[in-house]
Amino acid sequence: MESLQLLLGGFATAIKPTYLLFALIGCTMGTLIGVLPGIGPAAGTAILIPITVAMDPTAAIIMLSAIYYGAMYGGTITSVLINTPGEAASVVTCLDGYQMSKQGRAGSALSIAAIGSFIGGTFATMGLVLVALPLTRLALKFGPPEFFALMVVGLSLVTGLAGKSLLRALISAVLGLLIAQVGVDPVMGAPRFTFDHMELLDGFGIVPVVMGVFGIGEILLNAEAKAGAVFATQVSRLIPSRRDLKASALPIARGTGIGFLLGLIPGVGAIVPTFISYAVEKKISKTPEKFGKGMIEGVAGPETANNAYANAALIPLFTLGIPGSPTTAILMGAFMMNGLLPGPSLFKDHADFAWAVIASLYIGNVILVILNLPLIPLWVAVLKIPYAILTVLVFGFSVVGVYSLNSSVFDVGVMLGFGILGYAFRKLDIPLAPLILTMVLGPLMERGLRQSLEMSQGDITILFTRPLSASLLAIALVVIVTSAFRAFAAVKGETQV
Amino acid sequence: MERNMKRPYQITGTVLLLFAAFIGWEALKLKFYTHLGPGPGFFSFWLSLILGGLAVLMIVQATLRRPDPMPEEFIPSRSGLTKMGAILLSLVVTTALLNVLGFSLTMFGVFVFLLCTLGRPGWIVTLLVSVAGSFGVFYLFDRWLRVQLPSGIFGF
Repeated sequence: MESLQLLLGGFATAIKPTYLLFALIGCTMGTLIGVLPGIGPAAGTAILIPITVAMDPTAAIIMLSAIYYGAMYGGTITSVLINTPGEAASVVTCLDGYQMSKQGRAGSALSIAAIGSFIGGTFATMGLVLVALPLTRLALKFGPPEFFALMVVGLSLVTGLAGKSLLRALISAVLGLLIAQVGVDPVMGAPRFTFDHMELLDGFGIVPVVMGVFGIGEILLNAEAKAGAVFATQVSRLIPSRRDLKASALPIARGTGIGFLLGLIPGVGAIVPTFISYAVEKKISKTPEKFGKGMIEGVAGPETANNAYANAALIPLFTLGIPGSPTTAILMGAFMMNGLLPGPSLFKDHADFAWAVIASLYIGNVILVILNLPLIPLWVAVLKIPYAILTVLVFGFSVVGVYSLNSSVFDVGVMLGFGILGYAFRKLDIPLAPLILTMVLGPLMERGLRQSLEMSQGDITILFTRPLSASLLAIALVVIVTSAFRAFAAVKGETQV
Repeated sequence: MERNMKRPYQITGTVLLLFAAFIGWEALKLKFYTHLGPGPGFFSFWLSLILGGLAVLMIVQATLRRPDPMPEEFIPSRSGLTKMGAILLSLVVTTALLNVLGFSLTMFGVFVFLLCTLGRPGWIVTLLVSVAGSFGVFYLFDRWLRVQLPSGIFGF
């Protein structure tokens, strides 16, 4: 009840015309940043922090937060329209969203994504209000064993991303794990597979890799097409069909839950909830073989999870002062630049500010759905741009986006290399999703296991004696066993494994 | 004779097997196990073994099973290869010259080259897009948004 009163007070502040304007500007800029391939929310937020220095702290944080979750909306657009993720977390949407686009259902995909994002974001914000403190107490109990177990659950879902061939999916997954080995060993700090190159000490960044395999890979595939081909997408309707809405309802609900719960755990990253949501939808679908060919569930669930995650990830930042992702870390920097320290003291010493920002999250979600739905024809009009010009624009923004991460041409080279890999994978029908998933989860899993073993002086039973990690490992086992069962049944039925 | 995917998968499997062997060899140079648990080389070594096993399985499967037919567009046409080559060359040139010539000049040249190779939209459009995408973007990011882009030996 007290929270509700404070929230109402926050709304009274957030609906002031100045703050509404900054929320609108932030949402628009965030969407634009999300649309531009290669420039993700982290880079976009960082770029725009200097602009906010002269603003009052509330306005600055409202605008930067709006940019953050606005970018999640925007990243969907290029994923659906040109199979190039606008930001890394939208990579999953490429799998089915682009296929829907090729079938003339781009409007439906974008609308459902916008609606799902709104619902996920709104519910996650409600969660921030209602359950922040009790849930973060639970999240604090997550130690290395629980983290490891959670990552094992995530990796077990690779089997759900297999597509036609489990063998090729496993190869993709193992390659992703190997790619993630490059850099510095997370526990002992020793260089690993760097071959004396300083640039490899940080390993391969996820953004250059994702931009390479999806962005450049897609450009190369399109270049093969007959002369004169454009990005061929027709949009026959913007309003989703009743069938699409009905099919999206439960994935949106599940995506909200998945994104929200994972957003509470620092360090999970925005890509993980989207992959888990996709894998869950595929697993429970009656027609899993249709995933990757334009299933609305493959868009609704992940996009909802994406935005629910983005909003929920603000909970550990606000309540504990723990940034859960690079972008929230940048937001934390913005807080501190404005003389505010996120954490328990924020609600005690700057309650007005904190609740005004929370209220603006609701408002921002409304602004985004209002902004994005009518502007879908504008984004679709992008496809009327001739292929050569669009390719060059995507190329240029990809280079800018990747370079601006670390001011390093090495990252541009990484994007080139993975572009070739992405092209080769598509030709050989090797799925790309497992590679990205394991590249993200692998280091977290390795760090979790090795830290757990250090805690227990080498005793592996620590993973099974702690109730949370044991429960999570049991879930992973169930997932693996059921997938193996299905694969075995497929082999028996003489379909390819 | 209908083309199939037997040879491509055999070649892919062989490449993966060689890669796995290389990774395994490099992993053995790292510490495998310590008194506190796995060392830096532990995961890499086992991953290389798993990859090697999967690669062998791919070769065996491609050799013994009835292969899938090769998709019609698997081997690109000459014009497709030219365009792909142009894109890859552009990326290589961009990587090589970005810090030397700077963002504006490098991207201007790359944009003109790509537009001429990929679609030939006319000289005016080519110049407009190339100038906007190179000098325009540099001005926007470097001067206005204060995102550093390489300025090269000419300072822009």
